[in-house]
Amino acid sequence: MVTEVTEKTAAQRVASHKWGMVVDVDRCTGCQACVMACQAENNIPLSTEDIYRQKRTFAWIRVERYWYGDFPDVKARFIPIMCQHCENAPCEPVCPVYATYHNTEGMNVQIYNRCVGTRYCANGCPYNVRFFNYWEPVWPVSLRNQLNPDVTVRSRGIMEKCSFCVQRIRRGVREAARDGRDLQDGDIGTACTDACPTNALVFGDYNDENSRVSIMAKDDRKYTHLDALNTDPNVLYLAQVDATGGAIGGHD
Amino acid sequence: MATTSLITDAPDHRPSNIESTALLAGEGRTAAGTGLKRFMWLLAALSVIGFVGIVFRFINDDGRQDWGFYAATLAWMLTIFGGAPMVAIAPALAKADWVRPVARIASLGAIVTAIIALLMIPLLFKFPALTQFSEVLGDDVRRRSIWFDSPSYAPHFWNVLILLTLALVGMAMAYVMAIPDFAAIRDHGTGWKQRWGKKLARGFYGRQQQWEWLKMRIGITGALYFAMLLYTNFTFSLDFAVSLVPGWKDSLFPFYHTITTFQAGIAFTIIGVWAARRWGGMNKYVGHEQMWSLGKFMLATTLLWFYFFYSSFIVFWYGRSDSDSATIKLLVSGPYIYLFWTVFFLVFIIPWWIMIWNKVRDSVWGPPIAAFIILFGLFLDRIRIYVSSWSAVPDDLELATTSILQDMPDTMWPDVFDVFIMVGLPALGLLSILLVTRLVPLVSLWEIQQSRLITKPVRFLRSHVQLVGKPD
Amino acid sequence: MQQRRILDEFTVNHELLRGNLATPKWWLPTVLGLLVVVLFGFTLMGIMFNRGLGVTGLSRPVYWGLFITTFVFWVGISHAGIMISAILRLTQAEWRRPVTRAAELLTVFSLLTALFFPLIHAGRPWRIFYWITPYDFARGIFPNARSPLVWDPFAIGTYLTGSTLFLYVALLPDLGVLRDRTTGWKRAFYTVASLGWRGNPRQWRLQTVAGILLSALMLPIFVSVHSIVSWDFAVTPAVEGWHSTVFAPYFVVGAVHSGVSAVVTMMALMRWLWGWDNYIRPEHFDALARLLIVVACAWLALTFAELIFGVYSLEAPERALREMQMFEWPWNLLFIIFFLTGFAIPVPLWFFKRVRNNIAMMFWTSILVNIGMWLERFLIIVPGLSRKQPFVFTWDSYQVSPLEWGLLLWSFAWVMMLMLLFSKFFPLIPLFETKESQVFTTDVQIGRVTMPAVIRELD
Repeated sequence: MVTEVTEKTAAQRVASHKWGMVVDVDRCTGCQACVMACQAENNIPLSTEDIYRQKRTFAWIRVERYWYGDFPDVKARFIPIMCQHCENAPCEPVCPVYATYHNTEGMNVQIYNRCVGTRYCANGCPYNVRFFNYWEPVWPVSLRNQLNPDVTVRSRGIMEKCSFCVQRIRRGVREAARDGRDLQDGDIGTACTDACPTNALVFGDYNDENSRVSIMAKDDRKYTHLDALNTDPNVLYLAQVDATGGAIGGHD
Repeated sequence: MATTSLITDAPDHRPSNIESTALLAGEGRTAAGTGLKRFMWLLAALSVIGFVGIVFRFINDDGRQDWGFYAATLAWMLTIFGGAPMVAIAPALAKADWVRPVARIASLGAIVTAIIALLMIPLLFKFPALTQFSEVLGDDVRRRSIWFDSPSYAPHFWNVLILLTLALVGMAMAYVMAIPDFAAIRDHGTGWKQRWGKKLARGFYGRQQQWEWLKMRIGITGALYFAMLLYTNFTFSLDFAVSLVPGWKDSLFPFYHTITTFQAGIAFTIIGVWAARRWGGMNKYVGHEQMWSLGKFMLATTLLWFYFFYSSFIVFWYGRSDSDSATIKLLVSGPYIYLFWTVFFLVFIIPWWIMIWNKVRDSVWGPPIAAFIILFGLFLDRIRIYVSSWSAVPDDLELATTSILQDMPDTMWPDVFDVFIMVGLPALGLLSILLVTRLVPLVSLWEIQQSRLITKPVRFLRSHVQLVGKPD
Repeated sequence: MQQRRILDEFTVNHELLRGNLATPKWWLPTVLGLLVVVLFGFTLMGIMFNRGLGVTGLSRPVYWGLFITTFVFWVGISHAGIMISAILRLTQAEWRRPVTRAAELLTVFSLLTALFFPLIHAGRPWRIFYWITPYDFARGIFPNARSPLVWDPFAIGTYLTGSTLFLYVALLPDLGVLRDRTTGWKRAFYTVASLGWRGNPRQWRLQTVAGILLSALMLPIFVSVHSIVSWDFAVTPAVEGWHSTVFAPYFVVGAVHSGVSAVVTMMALMRWLWGWDNYIRPEHFDALARLLIVVACAWLALTFAELIFGVYSLEAPERALREMQMFEWPWNLLFIIFFLTGFAIPVPLWFFKRVRNNIAMMFWTSILVNIGMWLERFLIIVPGLSRKQPFVFTWDSYQVSPLEWGLLLWSFAWVMMLMLLFSKFFPLIPLFETKESQVFTTDVQIGRVTMPAVIRELD
């Protein structure tokens, strides 16, 4: 086992994964811990009241709340939406400078220092999960020590979005190689999946048949958002069940 | 500046009015030669074969997809013969003098549109209604079309009506443009032509007021024809092709159809000019000046074919949804891929490569070659579109309401009856035009005479040019 | 009816060079006034570079707003030049003669203005050479050839180069005239600029052939530039109302509509400001109005197709967008204004001969058309973005900021100032074309009627 791991080159280590997420809508309570964790982990600019009024809030992962049912049985459904890392991403072919592309691990990556800020990718994204830095981000003094040194702080004029916490993925892969062990499912977790109290968000490697995401991907309740657009996302959703156990509203 | 001294008279070799009248309206007109008679009998035989094909098509068909070739043939005829009168409208709209000699040949295409309208009726029996019962859903289901909430029979009824209106307006325009020639035949012709000329001229004696009435009528019918042609292309292409394929959402397609109509109309006119010179004795009236200018427009519309095709292709290609990919597969890269590439070469690459050379365009043999290639290529293009659409209609209409084409149909090959139809129906169209030209002169006499009045060849410094009067 | 004036060479030179050999009294104050607005606009751009795009009203999800609308608008206006000078030259239409240079000029300057907008509205404009230059700066990456935004600068750059060359080639004979009538530094300038023009037959032949070649070569560019701009929108399936195949010809025909109207505006201004009544006559406005009717009807057909196919697919998101765009406040007001100004008021008016020959009416209707066409672009871009897909939590509207209005005003002032500066140094109406038309026309007598007649070359 030790020899297997150390014989792989860096490229081979990287290329053998297909990262993805499964979101169990039935488990999501709408607590927004994932949103907070993401903001803290990825140095996301603060969405103050001013920014909200300008309609420029950042939320790499956001929780959308939909009502269903008639009064008095009205219920809420919470759907966390982050970048779907589409295999057939509409944001990728339109970037004029190749600042966003699909890497070999199944992730849609954003190269901050290449981005010119034309915002064409944001228009192309049907899930609206891309965010633009209209202003130079400013953190209050008290929060500056909290910035994550593993993550770039973006200046103004740059697009950003959920990166599946790629810094954690790289760290996990590096540490596994350094320790001479294979990566196990659960070694790497994104900020949102680590923070989720109900395990509604699960992150893992689709190429590993025994990972939780691969097993959950076989569930009957599974669906993807906006599948008519054929974006082929790497984020699968499991529909909420109603009292009788049937799935409610596959997608909006 | 002494302007008058730079422009001097030049020898005028154009046929005199007496000669033109004799040739086109009077005793100079020869009766149909044996060659022409034999050709017309051949066309009649082919037309009968075409009808035989239709009858057998009714008798043994396996479903809607077998009618695709019939639809394609009708579409092709509509494209050519419907588009030809557009060339005739040009003198009125754009005050272009060089078009005058070919306006008659162009306007004759309108005669065939009536035949197309009647030939569409067998097709309507096979055309799916908007609402049908679906086995899968157990209920009535309505497919997508531009007729939205109209009654079920809407496309059938409206398409016939629109095509008949196009035919009527086109024939009215062709008739009005021929009235002075009928008067000339009445005055200079003999025999049955003289009698018919008198009936059709309806008292036209060339008074000032009559000319003004005529001009107004030509303008009105011409503008109406243009509008009706656009509308016909819109409904025909959408109803008989786009609406039949689930998931094909193409707002450009009616305009693609219209542009190819213009291209085919110009090609038809060029071929008509070539035939008029070769067999009709019209050498002195239509020549390389018409070929040169018509050739320019044919080159432009050929390039536009590519532009319109590519505009819809790129949007589907980048769209990448299931319906976009299915549309590209059906029309371009799937069962009809070889046909598509043949069309690409015949309608775009080869004519473009022929027509960009000045020397070829400025000849009397160059544009007809390109025109034949284009017309054949457009025939294949119509097959590509209509045969694929008619074979893509799902049996159970429930599937038609979904946005995606589920099963790609197989490549359809024509059987012997389809070949009968594809050969016979265009022959019928050509035959009807040739029959009409027995009475109507191939080149419009009154336009030639007006042209003689208004233009004259002059010398300007050391070159020969034409002086064109601008009365309005 | 052709209203032919018989003019001798001295009169032509004297009148058409009125703006060049002497400065009209109104010229300097107007240019200074426009310069103030232009500098104000550059200041606004400076503010935007300094503080970030946050000073605009752009938001999420409306990432493209007034700047891109204005960009498309100015590219649209630039299509007038080719339409008039190239197509009318190739079809030997006589009435193009006074208009060709002004139309070409409008093309060049509106393209220069249009180029500003995508560049200033990039998030990091100092890095745009990654985008517009076909070279792999750093990291060995070329621009992404799959992106329509990369085709844009190349298309517009080609168009600009071609138009400038065309303008220059057509300018050469007039530069020769100016060289022969000026002294001092002006003479030195015109001597260099006229490239040794002597007016001998060889040079005339070269100049004519160059003009014809450039006209023919520019025609494919004319069609493709605005199609490429339209594909910026049409290739994104995510935005409802954008993913439509008809966009390419729709935009091109709209551009011709808007551009030819802009030429009408400009011609009316030229006639009034410089007193060129002999050269810009009501017959030109009549011919332009008739061309506009045809173009406007084609535009109406294409608009109708775009709207009907919006609901054809019976898909809920697109239907919802169309309903919002046409029936909900504030879009319904904008929609009505757009349709009235773009088509429903001007076009029926143009059917009347009295309106066509009335220069003031043509001036005002052409301005209406351009208001409508600007609104059309706005209505295509912004409603689709503000209501993208069924995720209602990201639906949001767009509030245009004063800075953006300021830059819209800047773009008009910039174009007008450049045109006025050009008019000081170069004649706006081509002298040689005017003289050529004098030589090419004569009166003929047909029966009892005397009418003007024009030479037509048999190719």
